[in-house]
Amino acid sequence: MTHFDFFRKAPLPYFFSRINRHLIISIMIGGSLLLPSISWAATLYAKQNDVKVTAEKSPTSAVVTMLTLGEPVTVLSKAGRLAKVKTAKGKTGWVFTFRLSSTKPSAKGGSGLSGLTGKRQIAARESRAGGSIRGLKESTEQYAKDKQIKQEHRDAVDRMEAFSVTSDELMKFKKAGNLGEFSGGAQ
Amino acid sequence: MKRLIILGSLTLMCVLLPVTGMSGFLDDLLQAPPPQKEEPAPAQEGANEKPPGEESPDAIQGLGEAFGIKKKKIDLFKKGLGVVEALQPIGEEEEITLGEAVAVEAFSRFGGEYRNQEWNRYINLIGKTVAEFSDRPTLDYHFAILNSQEQNAFAAPGGYIFITVGLLNTLKNEAELAGVLAHEVAHVTHKHMLETIRRGAILGSVSEFTLSAMKKDPAMFSNVIDEMTEVLFTKGLDKDKEFEADVVGIEYAYRAGYHPQGLRDYLQTLEKEEGHAQSRFFTTHPSTAFRISKINALLQGYSDLQSLPFLTKRFQQFLKMS
Repeated sequence: MTHFDFFRKAPLPYFFSRINRHLIISIMIGGSLLLPSISWAATLYAKQNDVKVTAEKSPTSAVVTMLTLGEPVTVLSKAGRLAKVKTAKGKTGWVFTFRLSSTKPSAKGGSGLSGLTGKRQIAARESRAGGSIRGLKESTEQYAKDKQIKQEHRDAVDRMEAFSVTSDELMKFKKAGNLGEFSGGAQ
Repeated sequence: MKRLIILGSLTLMCVLLPVTGMSGFLDDLLQAPPPQKEEPAPAQEGANEKPPGEESPDAIQGLGEAFGIKKKKIDLFKKGLGVVEALQPIGEEEEITLGEAVAVEAFSRFGGEYRNQEWNRYINLIGKTVAEFSDRPTLDYHFAILNSQEQNAFAAPGGYIFITVGLLNTLKNEAELAGVLAHEVAHVTHKHMLETIRRGAILGSVSEFTLSAMKKDPAMFSNVIDEMTEVLFTKGLDKDKEFEADVVGIEYAYRAGYHPQGLRDYLQTLEKEEGHAQSRFFTTHPSTAFRISKINALLQGYSDLQSLPFLTKRFQQFLKMS
């Protein structure tokens, strides 16, 4: 019997039981397909402070809000390296996906050491010695002294630590090189 | 009726497909491709650690036997766990203190600071761009150039990252430099050095390593720095950690928007010099050819690379500012 013959010849109750079976299978397949989409819409977290949520895909468009470290967002859709998100306060906009984490920053260290306060957890910051430009830590100064390491090398570490770039300079550098938020064609 | 069923199924599929097509995309974007490892990854700092008693040795024994693992291997694993449990994870401030002392040693052993303000700014901009999209973006990273013609780059704990002027001069573009720096950033984010010394002879018997403990016992602090510099400058980290830093670093460079092929390209340059170039790099890192083959396999997993730059012109402009 061909498939077509079955529909023509099958008795009515049997026919409906086949429909039900098809429906059940369809629902089961649909359900299993839907499950990943539910987890896809799961909450993600800002990996650092001052994560920009912009009105448009362009990183230079108006800033809707700034996320703080660990702040949750719900992903609504994706476009290349960007994700459209909704914040807990109901604001929607675009975020560079690599500024988000699938795991909530932990207070134990790593990206979440600063905890949810956005501040470094330095309960017992070691004081710095006053011998050089900015001052190395006392332990380092003591170590360098014991090992008779020249002052110029201690000063080099001091300069290394003191050197900084502004966020504006870093942003210009990334934009000029199509890096970070400006990568993948975004401008 | 058959048409109705087919139509119904088709409609359901049409509704579901666009949704499911997007499912899990962030998993791919947010997580580094799984490292190709033959052995289980070493425990990360503070990760996967259970409070004493939560995972009893008997449970490990039972699970091991259930999976057919020999008793000798189970005992070795249990021994390893015991060492990890002996010392609490080293905190960030302690990590920075250790890194600062190692940084002093780095300048002292590798010809001191290479003083070029423009180059210094350039490597810091690249390094900070890569670090911004790492798994530990809140740490304050510092990058410096060492005045040594030897080709080398290394990372001390706490975000102190060095590259020699000798290595810098062999690079061809910014993506290669970003690849090298990203590899070092990965060592920091995955706390490879801390993990090594936690399992080492000096800290193996210590239960807590705090700032006050460092101050109270300068000899112990000095011994720990000696152990770290020995690993960093002479012996090298475990091969698994180097391979992991390759995998993770390539992902960081990719996230930052660089072409992730940069590290591979530099290693190919290095491979040609193997045997006659003066570099401790060869003794402190696994076989360059093997690393290249592993990276080549890894790069196959990246599909959207066409628009990602190497930035050769910008690199050459900066390096001319000597």
